[in-house]
Amino acid sequence: MANKKAQHAVNEFNQVMKPVSLWADAWKRLRKNKMALISLYVVSFYIIISLFAPVLTSMGILIDYRKQVINNASLPPSFRPAGELVVKKIEARIASLEERAKEKEQQQDAFSFFNFGAAEQPAEGGEMGDQGETGAFSFTYEGAGFSGNTTDPVIRELISQKETLEHVKAELDTNPDYKLVYLLGTDDLGRDMLARIIYGGRISIAIGLVGTLTAALVGILIGSISGYVGGWLDNLIMRVVDIMYGLPYMLIVIIIMAMIGEKARGSFVVLFVAIALVSWLTISRVVRGQIISLKNSEFVEAARSMGASTPRIIFRHLLPNTLGVIIVFSTLMMPSFIMNESFLSFLGLGVSAPDASWGTLVSEGVRAMESYAWQLLGPGIAMTIFLFCMNFLGDGLRDALDPQSKNRT
Amino acid sequence: MARYFIRRALSLIPTLFIVITLSFFLIRLAPGGPFARERDVPEAILQNLLKRYHMDEPLFKQYLRYMGDVVRWDFGPSYRYRDLTVNEIIDKGLPVSMSLGVTSLLMAVIAGVSVGIVSALKQNRWPDYIAVAVAVIGISVPLFVMGPVLQLIFGMKLKILPIGQWISTHGIKAMILPAVTLSFPYFAYIARLSRASILEVLRSDYIRTARAKGLKESVVVWKHVLKGAMLPVVTYLGPAFSGIVVGSVVVESVFLVPGIGRPFVQSALNRDYTLIMAEVVVYSVILIIANLVVDLVYGLLDPRISYK
Repeated sequence: MANKKAQHAVNEFNQVMKPVSLWADAWKRLRKNKMALISLYVVSFYIIISLFAPVLTSMGILIDYRKQVINNASLPPSFRPAGELVVKKIEARIASLEERAKEKEQQQDAFSFFNFGAAEQPAEGGEMGDQGETGAFSFTYEGAGFSGNTTDPVIRELISQKETLEHVKAELDTNPDYKLVYLLGTDDLGRDMLARIIYGGRISIAIGLVGTLTAALVGILIGSISGYVGGWLDNLIMRVVDIMYGLPYMLIVIIIMAMIGEKARGSFVVLFVAIALVSWLTISRVVRGQIISLKNSEFVEAARSMGASTPRIIFRHLLPNTLGVIIVFSTLMMPSFIMNESFLSFLGLGVSAPDASWGTLVSEGVRAMESYAWQLLGPGIAMTIFLFCMNFLGDGLRDALDPQSKNRT
Repeated sequence: MARYFIRRALSLIPTLFIVITLSFFLIRLAPGGPFARERDVPEAILQNLLKRYHMDEPLFKQYLRYMGDVVRWDFGPSYRYRDLTVNEIIDKGLPVSMSLGVTSLLMAVIAGVSVGIVSALKQNRWPDYIAVAVAVIGISVPLFVMGPVLQLIFGMKLKILPIGQWISTHGIKAMILPAVTLSFPYFAYIARLSRASILEVLRSDYIRTARAKGLKESVVVWKHVLKGAMLPVVTYLGPAFSGIVVGSVVVESVFLVPGIGRPFVQSALNRDYTLIMAEVVVYSVILIIANLVVDLVYGLLDPRISYK
């Protein structure tokens, strides 16, 4: 009996109370926040897909993101096999070319009509035939096409498109490339957008994670030392942090990326180090503040009186108590990391080919957006959803782990 | 107050000094010079080129020379645009970038605070939900997605706004899309921030006192609540402005705005040393001055802060 009582705390009515840990409590609060919970699922989904992308590719569920099929270039998102779309695309092109050829014909009619008698005008090699007498120059594309010596680009393209159409139709059942299904369409080199977005996300999320970890570690180390040791060291560190805060750091990252040069720029190790080096500032300030407010509390006093060393006090006693704040800040830092990385990639200073991050994909999509909007919208929406969920998750975690926070917005 | 101002203004100098020094040595330590691209330059010509740009001197001497030039606001010739000096490029672009940046900031503040007020006064009703949703979306959509999507919708599909260029070609309409794109994330954040702080102030004692005195609700909101609630917004203006300055680099590239953002990216890509340096100096000066102004405004709003 006495044993049992020792295990569980008892309240004033002698009821056994189960102790609730900080984490269980936070989890309970987080679960109540629907948006944060959904965000958590979405983020987990992104991370799982990113982790298992190579497996999906090798199983054949996902098309290889490097596979270029020139014939399947710039197909719209669809559930149908690529062959059908290619046929439809060529047919549409032929229709528009025929339209243009007809317009041209009419214009030429009018033109010849006004230049009455100017027989040397149609030096194109068109057949004038017996209509030459009337002065109206009749130019039918079938005739020109079959005579095969036209220089008119519209008609030449029309002929080649028709040949391609025949070709595609003949191969429709035999060529495996035409059986591929591109859920999110293809880019201008005939690569699967879905696969590219997933692999781009792998790189973006990896840079976000590794960068956040690096920045958090540096920030925790510097912040905790500065806060615990105090005195002149604290002063010095905080002055340095203040000055670094004043620097336009994104501009300095741009300079670093520019001076590194094309080759090394491709390696994203450089990229995240460049961003991480300047991102530890906020977290070091936050950790420092927490440590200062905790370092004179009783449990630290107790540890010190038992002869614990300074590193032990910092790492075993103080830091675990600031973990909640650190987690919240790291979660909120990750989207800004991903955004900064994509910002650089968008400007052409980040990840370079053949690798692609979300930023690269968006910048490629921008170039083609007028005709092929999905090449912009696909990566743009994928990225926005992830950032959106990370932000919501961060807010939810803050409410859950730090319910009295004054930074609630 | 004046004393504080002077001290703050003087404290800009070390920061600027560090920025210039850091970027100078970062760039000079980079492998490959600005002329690395011209492959078949004969040795003698290369020597002459280096001499013309004083790059044959020892590094430290170059550094001192550069510092001297910057103090006189002379950034030298551009390495890439042979007929232009860096000062000409900056002088031409700066007014454009400034007008875009200031417009965006004003739009973000005015729209953000208004949405924040409406949202806070109608807490947990539909205007509030819409405002909160818009705010989170605004924070999550990157500028370089927002800009092209707006171009696609309003420029290419609806054809009601120009997709690029500037006032000289398209009139004031040309400013709408870039300014909306640039201000949107900050509008969103300011809306969130002011909503939260208004809600907090509404619960405070002095508001209860004001209501107990029988003041009209409009007076309470406009004179008492807003003044107290604007403090966090003002603090955020510093970061918001620097974000807008950095973001303008992207927005100017997307919308082909002839400011200083595009030359900056170009100079970074083709290692136009003098131009990069000048851009960094100009941007730093703008940012630091903006932070100073924000601090002063903060002091005017909050009587509890005293300047020593």
